[in-house]
Amino acid sequence: MLQLARFYSLARTKAIHSHGAPFRPEYALKCGLEIHTQLNTKNKLFSQSTNSATSLVDAPNHHTSYYDIALPGTQPVLNLEAILFAMKLSLALGSQVNSISQFDRKHYFYGDQPQGYQLTQHYRPFARGGKINLSKELDDIDESAKEIGILQLQIEQDTGKSHYTETDKDVITLVDLNRSNVPLIELVTKPDFSDIKQVRAFIKKYQNLVRHLHISSGDLETGAMRVDVNLSINEYARVELKNLPNTSSIINAIKYEYQRQVELISVGDTSSLMEPETRGWTGSSTVKLRSKETTIDYRYMPDPELPYINLAQDVISGVRGLMPQLPDDIMRMLMKKPYQLSLKDAKILTYNSNQNDMYNHEALRSYYLDTFREFSKLAGERSNAKLPTNWIIHEFLGDLNKLQIPLARAKEILPPPVFAQFLKLLHEEVISATSGKMLLFHILENFKQSNCQDLSIPDFSKLIEKFELHAINQVDPQELMDLCNDVIAQHTDDTFIRNLVTGKKKSSLKFLIGQGMRRSQGRIKANEFEKKFKEILNIQW
Amino acid sequence: MPLKRSLKESIERLSSFQSKYNIFTSINPSPYSITNKKGTKETLTGCVASIKDNIVTKDFPTTCASHILENFKSPFDATVVKLLKQAGVHILGKTNLDEFGMGSGGVHSIRGPVINPLYPHEDKKIMGGSSSGAAASVACDLVDFALGTDTGGSVRLPACYGSVLGFKPSYGRLSRFGVIAYSQSLDTVGILSKKINVLRKVFHTLDKYDMKDPTSLSVELRELIEGNKKVRRPLKVGIVKEFSHESMPIGFHRLYLSLLEKLINLGLEIYPVSIPSVKNCLPIYYTLSPAEAASNLSRYDGIRYGYRDSELDIKDGILFAPTRSKFGTEVKNRIILGNYNLCSDAFKNNFIKAEKLRVNLIDEFDGIFRFPNVLTNSKGNPDGLDILIVPTSSKLPGSIRDFEEEEAKSPANSYINDVFTVPMSLAGLPSLSMPLKEKTPIGLQVVGQYGDDSTVLDFVESIS
Repeated sequence: MLQLARFYSLARTKAIHSHGAPFRPEYALKCGLEIHTQLNTKNKLFSQSTNSATSLVDAPNHHTSYYDIALPGTQPVLNLEAILFAMKLSLALGSQVNSISQFDRKHYFYGDQPQGYQLTQHYRPFARGGKINLSKELDDIDESAKEIGILQLQIEQDTGKSHYTETDKDVITLVDLNRSNVPLIELVTKPDFSDIKQVRAFIKKYQNLVRHLHISSGDLETGAMRVDVNLSINEYARVELKNLPNTSSIINAIKYEYQRQVELISVGDTSSLMEPETRGWTGSSTVKLRSKETTIDYRYMPDPELPYINLAQDVISGVRGLMPQLPDDIMRMLMKKPYQLSLKDAKILTYNSNQNDMYNHEALRSYYLDTFREFSKLAGERSNAKLPTNWIIHEFLGDLNKLQIPLARAKEILPPPVFAQFLKLLHEEVISATSGKMLLFHILENFKQSNCQDLSIPDFSKLIEKFELHAINQVDPQELMDLCNDVIAQHTDDTFIRNLVTGKKKSSLKFLIGQGMRRSQGRIKANEFEKKFKEILNIQW
Repeated sequence: MPLKRSLKESIERLSSFQSKYNIFTSINPSPYSITNKKGTKETLTGCVASIKDNIVTKDFPTTCASHILENFKSPFDATVVKLLKQAGVHILGKTNLDEFGMGSGGVHSIRGPVINPLYPHEDKKIMGGSSSGAAASVACDLVDFALGTDTGGSVRLPACYGSVLGFKPSYGRLSRFGVIAYSQSLDTVGILSKKINVLRKVFHTLDKYDMKDPTSLSVELRELIEGNKKVRRPLKVGIVKEFSHESMPIGFHRLYLSLLEKLINLGLEIYPVSIPSVKNCLPIYYTLSPAEAASNLSRYDGIRYGYRDSELDIKDGILFAPTRSKFGTEVKNRIILGNYNLCSDAFKNNFIKAEKLRVNLIDEFDGIFRFPNVLTNSKGNPDGLDILIVPTSSKLPGSIRDFEEEEAKSPANSYINDVFTVPMSLAGLPSLSMPLKEKTPIGLQVVGQYGDDSTVLDFVESIS
């Protein structure tokens, strides 16, 4: 790795402890966010290097071209994919894409800044305006609705990374330029946030949006998304908070800084709050990094060789045509008729949690919607919306996780029309829920045992026949009587019976019904058992 | 002459010129490149060339005549070098220059000044810069042609002082990929030669779109320019009033008038013309170019290549100061001036204003030319001119001592040398400096509208 002498230090100050004090109305918080998002384009912003800055397995300085290390004589060539991604984000936020934007050089020296400047969009940013709407319904905020305005979006280069290591003799800085020249979008919000919940909701929503648009991994942990906070209280000077690696540090830093300023204001010691300053987060407290006097002049200059980004209206409307349905719209659609999903289930189908290898939310959503449609066709008007939800989102996914079968594979033997037939069997009570669970698991388990190679579509009626899973409509009274007597003999004693019959412990009946269901493998319905047990035990309540 | 004797003589000649005039920063005396086997009539195969040492080459170090890039060797060839190699050209060496192309005397080099070979027996005279070694290599007949770079006159002025042809094509025609940036909005690869037909062949070899250079003239615009070409008879030639011909060197007027007479005899029409913005050109140039230079030279921190202070990266809290203190005085001057122009307080008053005035200048040029400008969408003035003729320099090459003394008084003294060449750089116009008399450092620029390089070349060929 490239090396240089240490040139970084973080002043430490005494920590003040936040007591988790609540936000107080007499100290109004005003807060805005600056979010840097790495775009997951194939190549870097101005070179052909592979863009995989967050890949931890890669050797340092592996993803670098002559341009990325700023060799003399190299030139930037704009990656148009980054422009497309920026347009998608701008349109999703309702921002006004500027027909002409330009790149400017922001100058400062640093070991991980090989050109001595960063290409950004200072004078004419890519887009202005736009908003994200938060709601109590979808985002768990206190207000019924809250709009967070967007000031602007700009495209810029990421810098390299500096690693500080201490040896016996010295502290050195190691420089890794894999991240250098990775495309970033900087988004600046208006100072519209007035409490922590809104900040948390916004970050989550924005993160999901960039994932939804497939323009970024949106991960805070890898630095693919980085959040700085601007904050002020009661019109005192603005403080910028940096070095916030994850949501909890963002939240805790705001809490801490709020508390710190409130304490200063309440004792009248506001001299340090008159001038803007930049503070870092140590993990437990905020510390001053620099104030206005030490702010450097970045000497912004329009880049003299990159052409303007000149976007014709038909290009913008063309991209508009490529836009997917946005998450809030999807959520609202799923929570309305005919689907009527719960908030939790709708989120499973809408938000990318990046946590499951077996499926992604988009594939699952389209599987759900397709199956729902097929099922509605088969079952007609009176089809039960709960069936596809429960059986796909809960039962089916549970089986896939248990058996470690990717959705994409399972879909080969259970395409939506076939799954819809299965649902129809349940809907028409051809099989009971218990039998259905068994049958579904059996089909998937067999598939897994064939190493997902046996792609024959399951024949439900044959399997039902084979395992005798038919729900019994005409119950043989003798069989039912025998079963019930058996259950009573095996699972009860005198006290149990007395408590049940007198109504002292009514829930015991459920237990007996459950045992009966199990013995009949679900073929006999619960209400048949209930009737019979009451009859045998002479239960009057 | 047997090859062995010819080789020996050539090597002796080369090393004698090198020690006398300090032309090269590095030389590769292969048998091919020093026996000076000329190209055939149609192709450049076998031609010998020199490359200015701010254009990167795999086979030679590239130093920009700067301490900062000592021992730097590029892992790739500039596009123009690649194209020449593909055409079978032999590269004799890399030529000396003013550090990073900054200077008009050819004296600001870590390798020492280039000496003007037109004055072998006198006090050492300047070659003119910054493509000083390029002009000297051509003047001494060591090469068939040389590649230089021209930001504000850096090909044309030394060509004039060496009494050779020096051509700065339209901005964007020749790829800048691999040309170490001084001021990208102005930097242009230029060609120096004694023969117009060689110069033309080199131009045609290099005149190609390059996707690696974001300022390369696109294929579409090249085609548009071709489509705009039609026979213009009689050719209309303009003399610009604002380029004062007072205080011109002795001998200039007689040579100039005889050329005009020749043009009239050839049936060309000559008109006086006014371009008022010309008076703004030096302030515009010395606002924009140092700002770009300060920015471009920020990358020289020593971490990844080039010179590095072996002990320190940081001094008095300032990153890279120990390393960057090794820039030469002129480069440092321009970095300071450029950073001043970019400071947030000065930016609006200086940089933005200079950019606006630059646009005004281009508009004025568009107003007087008959040929359309494909970059500005100017349709061309139907009654306009085809060619301008402008002196290259108001001075003859002075002694190195005088030049350095003048500059010591004020760096701005040498900036005035660019007064005739800078306007075409700011407007990106094709401009060819041609000697008015053999072995005489008096030159005249032939200037065409943007993209109309072929008219410039045709004109020079017709009067050569």
